[in-house]
Amino acid sequence: MLVTQPILEARDLTKRYALGESTVDALRGVSLTVKPGEFVALMGASGSGKSTLLHLLGGLDRPTSGEVILGGETISGLNDNDATRLRRDQTGFVFQFFNLIPLLDAAENVGLPFTIAGQDPRRGEAADRIQDVFELVDLRGKEHHRPDQLSAGEQQRVAIARALVNRPAIVLADEPTGNLDFTTGGEILEALWRSCAERGQTIVLVTHDAKAAAYADRVEVIQDGLIRDEIVLGRRADHTAAPLIARLAQLGL
Amino acid sequence: MTGLSRFAWRSLRARPLRTTLSVVGIALGVAVLFAALATDAGIEAGVGRTVDDVMGRSDLRVGAFEEQGLSAASLQAIRSTSGVALAAPVLEQRTYLQRDPLSTPDSTAEAYAAPVTVVGIDPTIDGSTGGIHQLLLASGRGLSPGSSSAALVPASLAQDLGLGVGDTLTLLGTNGPVAYRITGLLSGEGPDPTVGGRSVVVPLAGSSALFGARGASWVDIELADGGTPEAVSVALDQSLTFEPYVLSDRADLAASLRGSTVGFQALTALIAAVTLFGGAFLIFNTLSMTLSERVREIGLLRAAGTTRGQVHRLVLVQALILAIVGSLLGLVLGFGLSILIARTVGSLGDQGVPIDGPAVPPLGVVLAAVVGIIVTLAAALEPAIQAGRVSPIEALRPAYASRRSMVSQLRWLVAVVVTVGVAGLALWPIALGPFGLAGSGPDGGGLGRPFFVYGVLLVVTLLTPLILGPLGRLASLPFTIFLPAEARLSRGSLARDRKRTALTVGALTIGLAMIVALGGLAGSAHAATAAWLTDVIPGDLVATSIRPIAANEGVAQQLAAVPGVAQVSPIARFAVAFRGVRLDAAAVAGRDLASDGRLTFVAGDRRAALVALDAGGSTVVPQAVADEFGLRVGDTLELPIGGGEAVNERIVGVIARGLPGQSGESVLIGWSDATSHFGVLGADAFAVRFAPGQAATAGPALAAAAQGLALEPTPLSGIESAINDAFGQLFNLFDGLALLAVLIAGLGIVNTLTMNVYERVREIGILRAAGMTSRQVWRMVVVEAGTMGVAGAFLGCLSGVILGFALGGVTGLSSSGGGPTIPWPTIALAAAFGIGVAMLAAFQPARIASRISIVRAVQFE
Repeated sequence: MLVTQPILEARDLTKRYALGESTVDALRGVSLTVKPGEFVALMGASGSGKSTLLHLLGGLDRPTSGEVILGGETISGLNDNDATRLRRDQTGFVFQFFNLIPLLDAAENVGLPFTIAGQDPRRGEAADRIQDVFELVDLRGKEHHRPDQLSAGEQQRVAIARALVNRPAIVLADEPTGNLDFTTGGEILEALWRSCAERGQTIVLVTHDAKAAAYADRVEVIQDGLIRDEIVLGRRADHTAAPLIARLAQLGL
Repeated sequence: MTGLSRFAWRSLRARPLRTTLSVVGIALGVAVLFAALATDAGIEAGVGRTVDDVMGRSDLRVGAFEEQGLSAASLQAIRSTSGVALAAPVLEQRTYLQRDPLSTPDSTAEAYAAPVTVVGIDPTIDGSTGGIHQLLLASGRGLSPGSSSAALVPASLAQDLGLGVGDTLTLLGTNGPVAYRITGLLSGEGPDPTVGGRSVVVPLAGSSALFGARGASWVDIELADGGTPEAVSVALDQSLTFEPYVLSDRADLAASLRGSTVGFQALTALIAAVTLFGGAFLIFNTLSMTLSERVREIGLLRAAGTTRGQVHRLVLVQALILAIVGSLLGLVLGFGLSILIARTVGSLGDQGVPIDGPAVPPLGVVLAAVVGIIVTLAAALEPAIQAGRVSPIEALRPAYASRRSMVSQLRWLVAVVVTVGVAGLALWPIALGPFGLAGSGPDGGGLGRPFFVYGVLLVVTLLTPLILGPLGRLASLPFTIFLPAEARLSRGSLARDRKRTALTVGALTIGLAMIVALGGLAGSAHAATAAWLTDVIPGDLVATSIRPIAANEGVAQQLAAVPGVAQVSPIARFAVAFRGVRLDAAAVAGRDLASDGRLTFVAGDRRAALVALDAGGSTVVPQAVADEFGLRVGDTLELPIGGGEAVNERIVGVIARGLPGQSGESVLIGWSDATSHFGVLGADAFAVRFAPGQAATAGPALAAAAQGLALEPTPLSGIESAINDAFGQLFNLFDGLALLAVLIAGLGIVNTLTMNVYERVREIGILRAAGMTSRQVWRMVVVEAGTMGVAGAFLGCLSGVILGFALGGVTGLSSSGGGPTIPWPTIALAAAFGIGVAMLAAFQPARIASRISIVRAVQFE
């Protein structure tokens, strides 16, 4: 029987913050595995620790204890430079606030990972990939618009395109629809889901919204810095939130 | 401190780095301004002291024109003129000391080698205890009427020579060495402060042994009670008819001393204005940044009921605190700086400016502090008004955008800067007024050129935002090659706030422009010196004599007999009176000048003029003299020669540059007229031209021959380098001041970059999340600074070259010709310095940027 190796693994992660003279335990021993091509949602209320977990999974922050293994490499043990390179090559981030560089146009924003790596995003394979992701997020023709010339939903789709352009092992999205209306939020989630369903892109989505989490194959419910429950929804063409909401209600959430 | 003022204070304390930078920016501007004022006051005090030292208690000076000096008959005539209480004759003549190698240590050789000025006085009138000239003794006793071989020397000179009271001093006279016994040592620099303490005072009777039967170089007059300079002048006109003379009073001397300082003062004033200009940018930028950073706080204050007026006050109180602290610090720094300036210019000797040390002008203290405060408040007005316009709703939006366009903000800034500039330049003379200065000279009086400079700098600064796009692309080219990603990302940041970037680059531009302009001036001055000497001296070397050498002594022939010497041309420098003014004159051989191809004629026929010069009755005048007196070819100079007679010399040519005289360029007179009418006894210098290719071999033989004839040979290159050394010191000082302006610009860059970093914390977070290493972030900020540095260097060097050409006239330093010079080495150094300062200024902001936490940044609103 073929056993698929996880693309991302978190082992007993804890994260403690100093808050003045007291300390806050944001994570208290979280373990998690994500397999290639999976769409996993981390769901929880504000302050539950879901965003902290995402930051640790993407190597943006270091755990107080425990380890994160991304593509077979322990990212939590790497120095800043190596962690940055691993991040650049293996991950793509989408944040809640639109997080585009206002002085660069959409294509330049999407091409940032290439620019940072010292490649010219206007030429060769980089240019092809940029065109490809623009098509995926349905933004053809808007390549040379600046962020302030794009709607909020379009800006977030540019951010998704940037996260995907490098064909990363995993895309980490932190409340990507938190700042958008229902319809626009739906477009964003569709774009993410398409990349997963059509291209096998692994995605970890942080959200407090059950409708967003319903796009995932699996939902990890986080409460007080711990994974309280795992709800497996499976790959579905429709994204109704009813089964998830019912299960959450059973859990009293 | 109460109410909102406390907020202002807290706000400044919350950003210590920015507050410190602003205070230092104001302090440096005020420091340069105050140093310039204190130096000017020090010069004025130095002028007063020099006049006292030179003129003693006398009210008038009758100066001799002729080398023979004023005769005993003239002295008697002066003494018997009504209104004259006391008349003190003085003979002054340069000569050399003779050193006995056996009895004096080798360490004194240098002190012996330089020339000394022999000052002959009448011990019955002047002495240690009274008379017109006060000679203060440090030790020993003064001169007595009977002791013709006694001498007094300044204690400092005696020490350099290793001599003391009772020792013998040997001076070279026209008829050989003459020994004097030192009877006393003088405190201070001796009777003539212009010779840097190298003077030897002997009785007038004793000076005849040295220089033969020569009369007094001048006679200083103390007026009787009730006598006025005007009345005595009229009376002397009647009684003094034996020789031509020129009458001057204390004000004339002071004016001539000040004349040499006008260019210096104009430059220091200009640099002070430019430094303040940069300081104003820094304040404007700082307060604008504080505003955009604290706009939500201001919105909340407005929502809580704070009036517009209160918000204005909040910003202006901040500016006032910065201004007061900065100005006070500036005054202290400025005093230190003025001591440094005084030491530098005071050490320039004959080429320098009369200054003992800086003086603290009370009005200058007030002016510097007030200008510092006004400039700061003026620069704060626009941010204050902007702050008042912040509405609570606007403030609570995610991103605050000023409603005013860049053009309207810049228009406002132009108004402030122009007002401050005009007020500053207009106030300058008022600050100096009580000291009688106010740039009263023909150059310093015209404020047109400083205004022009100010205008050029302003225009360049205001054009910067308009050309920032292409300029940024051009300036980032060098970085694009090595760091393409960092260069691309940093270029965008420069366009983020064009006004801020423009002002930051502008401050750097003006500092560098001053350095390049000064480099251009220095280059022009050097070129002018070289061009002047080669244009007017018909030789490769000048052999000078301490006594006039008559044609029949055969000295010229002996020099010409040295193998390899092509031509020897005698020159004598003397003075003539024209329209009651002393004019430098030189006796020259026209045929030598003609054959050697010297002199550039701007009017008249060169060949005919030089032939006419030798024939007599003709003169050739320098352009400067022609312009001063409105003379043209064909006019006649009526020159008095004593006994109520005058000689008419017809102008046959006007030359671009004349031989250097004591106080200007010399009119040229043929040898026949010089000896027959103006009492010139002989040549005091010989210009020696070597045959082509013979200079190296003939040089040593000529030097030996010259020394054998008691002549001192000096190659033209030696004269040139001595003048250039003095220029060099002066320009180094100005460069130092201009460097302060660049330093202020550096502070501005720190400020701007820090603000740029704080404004895009989230962007930097995204870049880090997208895979940019902290090292790359660091480099991106440094490249951003480097791009500003390159842009500032480009504009600074360009405008500096233009200013250098324009400034040529303000200082008079390059007015002697040589043409405008593009100072390539200075441009290269200034550009490297500007880019270096900019990139160094990026260090701290880059550090901040590279340490930004990604997690916090991406959550940052």
